[in-house]
Amino acid sequence: MGAKSLALSFSVQAECNVSRARAGLMKLPHYEIKTPVFMPVGTQGTMKGLLPDQLETLDCEIILGNTYHLGNRPGTEVLEKAGGLHNFMGWNRGLLTDSGGFQMVSLLKLAEITEEGVKFKSPYDDSEIMLTPEKSIEIQNCIGADIIMQLDDVVQTTFQDYDRIKEATERTSRWLDRCLKAHKRPTEQSIFPIVQGLLNKDLREQSAKDHMTKNVNGFAIGGLSGGEAKDDFWPMVSLGTGILDKNKPRYLMGVGLAIDLVVCVALGIDMFDCVFPTRTARFGCALINKGQLNLKQKQYETDLNPIDNDCSCSTCKNYTRAYLHCIVTLETVACHLISVHNIAFQMRLMRTMREHIEKGTFPQFVKKFVNELYSDGNYPTWIVNSLNSVGINIVRK
Amino acid sequence: MRFIINQAGSGGERIGSLKGFVKISTAVIETPASALFTQSGSVVHLTNEVLSKVFSNPKLLWVPLSKSYQLETGLKAQGEGVAKFAGLQNHLTCVTLHGASEITPSGHFESDSVPLWTKNGKKMISANRYMDLMEVFKPDIILAIADGHTSLDEGSKRISKALDRTSNMLNMCVTRHKNSTCLQDSSLIGVIVGVGEERKCEQSIQNILTYKENLSGVTLEGITDGSEESLTVPLEKLEAIFKRVGDALPKDFLCIIEGCWNPAVVVTAIEHGWDLFDGSYPLKLTNAGHALALQLDVNQDNKELCILNLNDESYKDDFQPVLASCECLACKKHTRAYIRHLLNTREMLASVLLSIHNLHHFDEFFHHARLHIASRTFDVFKKHIIKQYDFYKQNKKDVPIPTIQDVKTSKKKEKNKKRRVSDDDIDNVVKSDNSL
Ligand SMILES: [Zn+2]
Ligand SMILES: [Zn+2]
Repeated sequence: MGAKSLALSFSVQAECNVSRARAGLMKLPHYEIKTPVFMPVGTQGTMKGLLPDQLETLDCEIILGNTYHLGNRPGTEVLEKAGGLHNFMGWNRGLLTDSGGFQMVSLLKLAEITEEGVKFKSPYDDSEIMLTPEKSIEIQNCIGADIIMQLDDVVQTTFQDYDRIKEATERTSRWLDRCLKAHKRPTEQSIFPIVQGLLNKDLREQSAKDHMTKNVNGFAIGGLSGGEAKDDFWPMVSLGTGILDKNKPRYLMGVGLAIDLVVCVALGIDMFDCVFPTRTARFGCALINKGQLNLKQKQYETDLNPIDNDCSCSTCKNYTRAYLHCIVTLETVACHLISVHNIAFQMRLMRTMREHIEKGTFPQFVKKFVNELYSDGNYPTWIVNSLNSVGINIVRK
Repeated sequence: MRFIINQAGSGGERIGSLKGFVKISTAVIETPASALFTQSGSVVHLTNEVLSKVFSNPKLLWVPLSKSYQLETGLKAQGEGVAKFAGLQNHLTCVTLHGASEITPSGHFESDSVPLWTKNGKKMISANRYMDLMEVFKPDIILAIADGHTSLDEGSKRISKALDRTSNMLNMCVTRHKNSTCLQDSSLIGVIVGVGEERKCEQSIQNILTYKENLSGVTLEGITDGSEESLTVPLEKLEAIFKRVGDALPKDFLCIIEGCWNPAVVVTAIEHGWDLFDGSYPLKLTNAGHALALQLDVNQDNKELCILNLNDESYKDDFQPVLASCECLACKKHTRAYIRHLLNTREMLASVLLSIHNLHHFDEFFHHARLHIASRTFDVFKKHIIKQYDFYKQNKKDVPIPTIQDVKTSKKKEKNKKRRVSDDDIDNVVKSDNSL
């Protein structure tokens, strides 16, 4: 059983018999994706200095592009001539684009949101631009990603005003209809609606239920991971996965920290994206199971170990922490090397979770993972509570 | 290491090979050749993984100490030399004091030491200290420490001093090299300085020849101080130098030319028996957003300029590869339009793709040079290259360059520019609790 469409078919392959975790296969026009999946972010049609070939070697199956940036540069005209972003950047696997709304609202203080769309001044030439749901889909149709996002009315996550949140949530549903109507390539691209409602339970429930009535191939959960307390964050994820169709993929936007991935997979999320692994690489931070190494620190000056002895990425095979220490923030190569490792780290974590879900050992894996991360046994409450809510009982030592 | 001349061409040009390296006994570097320029021990912009997609055989890495001085502590801890430490153990290394294209402040010399300009400022380096560092870097080839970073029109007094200093330091290098057990696997190269003054230059050569038994070759410094002006010497003048100095050297010496010399200069030097170049030229092109596009087939005219400035807006929807005949990964999989977009958005992949292409193509250029020497048609090839370069010089148009040199400068530039939406901005608003 599962969603079947030319643009996307999803089938659950295995389910955890304790938590809501599941392993699935999502067939997209360009590639077949194994879920749960982490999608690295390649904002401007490139992944921080890595070749598409390297991303394939790293087992990346789907990456993310930013509509707002790509619409400006290279622009839709060039992308159209190139035959879409896949061709333009030489990437033959899965692609997902955001709607462009998030960037505008978060970056441009002068953005004004009306029922029609988001009005803002172009940072490139100061001209006034209106991004409507129709316009967003038009650009995304041109970029040609396998999965595209509806334009949503974005309010900052920690925002408190109920009326504004309500307005944004309801408007997001209305904009979804406009997006679906404007969609020109439904057999090649799937629009995902975005569940909104910030930290308000009722509004989120309403939003998810509204979206459930639409003919769509998958869902996104948005408006989280914006600085809210973790104790407020996970119930909203859980609420979403509790309502959304089990036979369709669920994508949690902007989440990518290892522990968040583990918890949210347990809560039933299938797809994630985050700039964090590649962004942090630039500053010399390498991800490991126990957290991260800041390779700039003097303690690594003569450390001849690889970043992670258990990692089989090309960086860990060839380079020591001592060498990376010498070149971080100095050579572009350092950034490439740590990006490779950090993406490998994310991919390995997702692969490990899939394997455990398939083998029926996911709860044990989660316990072991949390135990390793908080070896003092001092588990944060939100982790204990969220995992307990899906039957994985971890107790503070 | 041994340098063997396999075949002489019809002029002074010759085909040789560097072999017998202790670290990689099977490695052979055929000359004329270009080394690969490194910073911090890495081929600039390319990781080990990507470099192996460009070259499958061992290459000679050019390692300027000025740009790798900070590796010392780590190198000591590891004890296996710079190639291994930088993850490039399948390649050979040649260490030198400065890159010839670096612009360094003038002066600051002392009687027995020269200033080394590193990222952490000035370090005074004596010949002794230099050889200490060589014992740590363990290169296959060592260019002796010298005071050679001067241009052709440098004053006479300065050149005299450079000559004396270089001569004293060479003496020390030779002594240390002879007596160091761990440097027996490294070959030492003498440095010719003061090239602008014929008599001083002769002296410099004579001085080097006193150590003939201890040296494997020479490198030609004292032409450029790294500045753009010092590189714009008329080709005839350079040719006269290449010939004069080349003729004065023993034939079995490996002859190296340092500096960021264009293909027209390179073919001219090759014709007068120069064997090895430092590889800074393709890097300079890459950092400027330029792609080398020589027509290497002497039977065909180049229909475009031999250097493409991919910053130019005219490439924005040019979906051809950089060079249709090129077999490199960048040309096989990517387009001019994509590279132009990456340059325009100051993305690091631009430098990666351009490095892949420029290094591959520059290597092919030397491969073709060797083929023509072998078939005694080098003069045809030389004319063919000079013609293309002259045509480029007359017809190039200047386009402002958004340089992508390293992580730091590009970030600085980002800040200096008018506020634009950048990745950083997005990242800043994404999650505040993302640090462990
Ligand atoms: Zn790794
Ligand atoms: Zn190429």
